[in-house]
Amino acid sequence: MNENLILRLTVEDLLIREAHLLDSWQLAEWLTLYTNDAHYYVPPNDVDGDTADPDTSLFYVMDDRKRMEERVVRLGKVGAHSEHPRSKVRHLVTNVQAARENDIVRARASFIVSRAKDITHDLFVGHYLYDLVERDGALKISKKTCVLDMEALRPHARISIIL
Amino acid sequence: MDARIISEPSQNKFLVPRKAFTDQAVFEREYAEIFNKCWLYLGHASELPEPGSFLTRKVARRPILFNRDRHGEFHALFNACPHRGAMVCRERHGKSPAFMCMYHGWTFGSDGHLMTLPGAAGYPKDFKTDPQKQMVHVPRLDRIGDFFFLNFSHDGEDLATYLADAGDYLNLVSEHSESGMAVTGGTQEYAIRGNWKLLAENSVDGYHAACTHSTYLEYLKNANGALGATPLEGGGIDLNNGHAVIEYSAPWGRPVASWVPLWGEEGKTEIDGIYGKLQKRLGEKRADRLAHKNRNMIIFPNLVVNDIMAITVRTFFPTAPDYLEVNAWSLAPVEESDWLRKYRLFNFTEFLGPGGFATPDDVEAIEKCQQGYAVGGDAKYNDISKGLAREGEPSFDDEMQMRAFWTEWDRRLSAAED
Repeated sequence: MNENLILRLTVEDLLIREAHLLDSWQLAEWLTLYTNDAHYYVPPNDVDGDTADPDTSLFYVMDDRKRMEERVVRLGKVGAHSEHPRSKVRHLVTNVQAARENDIVRARASFIVSRAKDITHDLFVGHYLYDLVERDGALKISKKTCVLDMEALRPHARISIIL
Repeated sequence: MDARIISEPSQNKFLVPRKAFTDQAVFEREYAEIFNKCWLYLGHASELPEPGSFLTRKVARRPILFNRDRHGEFHALFNACPHRGAMVCRERHGKSPAFMCMYHGWTFGSDGHLMTLPGAAGYPKDFKTDPQKQMVHVPRLDRIGDFFFLNFSHDGEDLATYLADAGDYLNLVSEHSESGMAVTGGTQEYAIRGNWKLLAENSVDGYHAACTHSTYLEYLKNANGALGATPLEGGGIDLNNGHAVIEYSAPWGRPVASWVPLWGEEGKTEIDGIYGKLQKRLGEKRADRLAHKNRNMIIFPNLVVNDIMAITVRTFFPTAPDYLEVNAWSLAPVEESDWLRKYRLFNFTEFLGPGGFATPDDVEAIEKCQQGYAVGGDAKYNDISKGLAREGEPSFDDEMQMRAFWTEWDRRLSAAED
């Protein structure tokens, strides 16, 4: 099989695993897919999410590894009211593309994330931008940017789950 | 109207009818008596940086075109074509000397005057200058510093009178910078399935923090060096006309200008420098207050300015009794250094907004209130009495600021009946 195809399948495998961990609320395991210097971003709707800079523009989410860990700790508590009881989550990940760029693998994918809780059911639609690096022979995520292809977070109100 | 508050301070009693959150007639009356008569926040001058800049925005359900003409003058126009009513400008922001309606091609100058129309021969000669054929200016537009407000009513008090003591608090926000404050870019735009007054209350509610935001407070304790030794304490202040603020000290860092250990020695030098300049510019007392106190302010009916670990300007409008739309911006000094700006934005998103560690739980509380009101029956009132029984000044976690809001709400809605 050609190398590009193998790369894409390897990345897809990782993204499918990530989706499964998020859907089943195995958040501590989810963190193991990320490097120790990883970042997780969700830019707002009125900027170009592919190029927006979290150092100069307000985002919805701009987590470094430390805050990702704290996010997971928080979501495990009863006091994280928005996710207690937990919502039903389903990540659909598709249209995966991947290419090597020196030591980094850059990947893109489309997503629909469904969140259902009580009387609300919301869909988050957008695309992922991933940076992946080799660590101990396996691909790890060093950056994940979730660009929402939506005009606003309406009626969603919150991104209390991990996209 | 039977949705009146019950205020009996001598009995330590302040009750708000739950009908105020659910009733369609109350909602319609709020639009007639509050949103169509009060001064409403439109935007910040920094969002229109140069002549020709424009942005479109909904204010109280109406599409508005906020822009600057080639001389730099600010205009607020109803964004609808005088011909058939189509929205003229369909972009969110940009720069343009003129605006062409996509329907029949009528084209307007940045002050709203009709410049050209295709097929002019089919109209009388003076048609183009007919006042009815121009884009309509919002009846009143005024500013305090770089904060622009509009009013859909032709008469009533001027902006300065309306803002009462809140005006000086807005000035205090502007005084963070010697060269001007600016919106950082990136708007948080979301909605809540709840009544708009629940968010007004929540924005200045010091009482809910310990319970609703327990996970956030625990997180802060774990974030090594993010907290100083300053205790969380202060009081509520009634700013008149329904506006109120809680002003308090807090252990978190403020880019202007309270240092915390996390920022290191280099950060301390920079913060000391900022503070020194503040003292020179504003005097000892005002500089101390600006730098070391936090403020959560509600300007009646729907502008919230929180000057805390970052500055957020937030406005919200109902589209139904049980649904509101929020826009929130971040405001910062133009001259701020890169690392402080980065810290400010990082801090903002930690607590505030749809992806923060706190706002989602506020949303949950608001939505659960709205759902709870469906019980109806004998559970008719909310209790907003905390602090009435206290001797001396109101505490930051009392409910005085909510009573100020509700008293004005009640005054405006009931006056309409007389």
